[in-house]
Amino acid sequence: MSAPLSRTRDLVAALRRQLGEDDPQPPRAPLPPVPLPPERVFPSPRRRSRMAEAAAAHTTALVGIGHVGTRYATDVVLQFQAELAVAHGAVAAELPDGWAEARGYVPVRSRVAHHREFLLRPDLGRRLDEPSAARWSAECRKDVDVQPILADGLSAVATMGAGPELLDAFTRECERKGWSVGTPVCAKFARVWLQDEIGELARARVAVILLGERPGLGTGDGLSAYLVYGPKRGNTDGNRNMMSNIHARGTPPVDAARRLAVLVHLMLEQGTSGVSLDLAPRAAELGEAARGGYRAPQARSRLVEV
Amino acid sequence: MPVLEPLVPKVLTVRRLPGADPALLRAYGADPERHRALGLVTVDQDDPTYVALDEATKHAAVDVVYARSFYAGSRHASGPLSGEILGVLAGEDPAEVDAGLDALLQTLAHDACFYAADAGGNIAVFPHVIASLGHYLSAQAGLVAGTPMAYLVAPPMEATIALDYALKAADVRLVKAFPPPTETNFAAAWLTGELHACEAAAMAFAEAVVDVARQPRER
Amino acid sequence: MKLQATIRGVAYSFGSVKEVLAKANPPKSGDDLAGVSAREPVERVAARAVLAQLTLAELRANPVVPYEADELTRLVEDSLDESAYNAVKHLSVGQFREWILDAGTTAARLRSVGPGLTPEMAAAVCKLMSNMDLMVAGAKCEVLVRCNNTLGLPGTLSSRLQPNHPTDDVEGILYSAREGLVYGCGDAVLGVNPATDTPESTAEILRALGDLRTRNQIPTQQCVLSHVTVQMKALALDCPMDLMFQSVAGTQAANAAFGIDVRLMDEAWDLMRRRRSSLGPNFMYFETGQGNALSSDAHHGADQVTLEARAYGFSRRYKPFLVNTVVGFIGPEYLEDGPQITRAGLEDHFMGKLMGLPMGCDACFTYHARMSQDELEGLKVLLGAAGCTYLMSLPVGDDIMLTYPSTSFHDVPTVRGLVRKSPAPEFDAWLASRGISSGFTPGARFGDVTVLR
Repeated sequence: MSAPLSRTRDLVAALRRQLGEDDPQPPRAPLPPVPLPPERVFPSPRRRSRMAEAAAAHTTALVGIGHVGTRYATDVVLQFQAELAVAHGAVAAELPDGWAEARGYVPVRSRVAHHREFLLRPDLGRRLDEPSAARWSAECRKDVDVQPILADGLSAVATMGAGPELLDAFTRECERKGWSVGTPVCAKFARVWLQDEIGELARARVAVILLGERPGLGTGDGLSAYLVYGPKRGNTDGNRNMMSNIHARGTPPVDAARRLAVLVHLMLEQGTSGVSLDLAPRAAELGEAARGGYRAPQARSRLVEV
Repeated sequence: MPVLEPLVPKVLTVRRLPGADPALLRAYGADPERHRALGLVTVDQDDPTYVALDEATKHAAVDVVYARSFYAGSRHASGPLSGEILGVLAGEDPAEVDAGLDALLQTLAHDACFYAADAGGNIAVFPHVIASLGHYLSAQAGLVAGTPMAYLVAPPMEATIALDYALKAADVRLVKAFPPPTETNFAAAWLTGELHACEAAAMAFAEAVVDVARQPRER
Repeated sequence: MKLQATIRGVAYSFGSVKEVLAKANPPKSGDDLAGVSAREPVERVAARAVLAQLTLAELRANPVVPYEADELTRLVEDSLDESAYNAVKHLSVGQFREWILDAGTTAARLRSVGPGLTPEMAAAVCKLMSNMDLMVAGAKCEVLVRCNNTLGLPGTLSSRLQPNHPTDDVEGILYSAREGLVYGCGDAVLGVNPATDTPESTAEILRALGDLRTRNQIPTQQCVLSHVTVQMKALALDCPMDLMFQSVAGTQAANAAFGIDVRLMDEAWDLMRRRRSSLGPNFMYFETGQGNALSSDAHHGADQVTLEARAYGFSRRYKPFLVNTVVGFIGPEYLEDGPQITRAGLEDHFMGKLMGLPMGCDACFTYHARMSQDELEGLKVLLGAAGCTYLMSLPVGDDIMLTYPSTSFHDVPTVRGLVRKSPAPEFDAWLASRGISSGFTPGARFGDVTVLR
């Protein structure tokens, strides 16, 4: 009521009181009410614009969201912040102590001491610390065809989510093909290249590391898999094959396990991996395992409901 | 009516000419090279309107090209829409003229107005303080834009007595005096100084006008 | 050449110009990872004091990777403009900084010496500058380029529209592209990072973007950011390729990891000269980013700012229409947090501009870097004020394919309004004709996709 719209009016009001005029000050002319934003620039949750509806069949990009001035409407801001919080939560999460043991995996860790060091020192994340190397050497089954490795990577949330299901499905696929599978192992603070040391100690022909991938907005649950034939320290990215986007909205774990087994099959047949691996001999199987090409992505889920 | 009740000005007409004829532009003091669009108002109080026109120049790229009071004031107007003053804003861009009109109407609705100096509402006083002059009134007053100014108006006797009080109430300087008669037969004065001094002078002016209204004759 | 300085009675000496350059750098996690950064803050200042005394001639004589070992060093050395070099070679790095910042040093004067500067010189002066110095100096440099429209005019701020899609769904790409256009985005390029790096999908996306552009008569250019060899094959598939893209780095070995070298890029450039769909004369598009040499272990013990400048030394051979640093994309092991990413964005913009490149910046981070959305918004405004040629633009700034946050469709008109800059003039006129915006002011049809066909 008393926003200083007019200095002069406030001064005159004070003077009135001083002169003994105790009549209530007449009400100030009301400000015009602020109009509600027009529908076009501010689609409500219930009445999203037609364009946004149509776009949702083709993309998860947030389009058709309108604007207020040049900025976002409030519901868009909240959705965005919720997605951001989910991503940051996934990055900050760590595999709790005892999680691996409880599932019967041999727990190992890299030379990284803490989470911040994990982000800043990829070189340390590529090597086992000494107690882990000793324990793994002592406990692992040797001379296996396939060594699967579960690891946290950049999202322990994803690992703890679909990780065990993916590991089990992949192990079953390998056993069905008659390959020997290594002791299940779970690595903390692990980068992709850690698969070389773990696989080398088990003298595995192929090492497959399944780990949490870099979280995106609203999605901290994606897993990636990297495969290498002849794991040994000194391998580079050119020696590896990879598959990403393994989660319920991308490639489901069961489908991913089938596709990974096809890749392992090719590696065992050709004795190589990475850029020199020829996918053509099993292209049909790979395509079938991936359930063929493009699929319309599913709608982005609304995280904030009021 | 309680003393010092605001007498809010009535805006009688607001019209726009987005592309005025060059001859008309020239006749009303605009420059066809720089001005294309006009915004025009008539109001039943002249001095609040001068203040509001000046305010417009602070909020939009417009000039006040024409502003004149009518003879004998709004009670003797030539028609129901004439009021006491015609004010004209001019600009290159019609959107700027619109923005200027917005600022002008806002000032008339919420800031600049006469006040009743007596219970009958027959004596009006305008003790207005402008914290920061725009480029219209500053040019009229010969001051730098941005300077504070007290804009003081009252009927002839009230204004003359009150001006003396105002000048003595604070460290202010008389910029310009408008002794009676004027077009509307009021008298006016412009004072400048620090903002707080302008405020003290304006309130001394208002208080003195109320005093004259209460006690017109000392003997 | 004296590589020693004394601070409060303690003498600091350095073994090489390369070591001085590295230790003079402000803190970057990537330099720590490479083991080349100063051990403590006073040593860092000592390195800067030494650097300030070195002349530009001494820097030319001491490239961070030897002439014999690296084709980028050879390229820079062999093609340096000697008359421009002779005009500045006597200056110390400290004097060079002051000359750049001096009010009397005009944009034209800066442009004239640019071809005589080696990357090491640009990196060296950068290390003596504060963030605000970098902004003042960056804003002074004017780099004008032309393709289908004109970028880099004073008072303009352009944007790349980046309608990426995780499965290259062309309809999905077009939904994002149309949305961006009606927010005034896309005057630098409509540029898609493809999920599938094949000539066929590259050509398919280019045709879709070309159709959108033709149908609506939009004065800009389209590009698909697949590998240069893939784009060369796509050119044979009859598609409208306005710009050719490639990621580049600052050493021969790092470029080898990207699968390119000078010979290949010369060939690509020549192919585009003959086969492109755009007007030109500028038609190449490069992306860089501090840390990309170290990530392929190809840094030769040099710091990442100097290596970044060397990527610009490589880029300028091809007179590109666009160059941008993808500043925070590479991850916290190279740029750890908001202050490091902000600093790197301003450094890269300045160094590129000084060397005559039309520098844009993808102001971004990855979710495991310690940077907030508010810090990222701040960087966009700083870049706008520093005269950055262009920013990126995506729906709410979220790249659904590469999963990182960048600049949004809404941010571009916001920054334009705050720093009072307009889109490229041809594009601005198109936006005005559709009622979308005029200059930095949104119009009646702002954000309304129904104005497009």
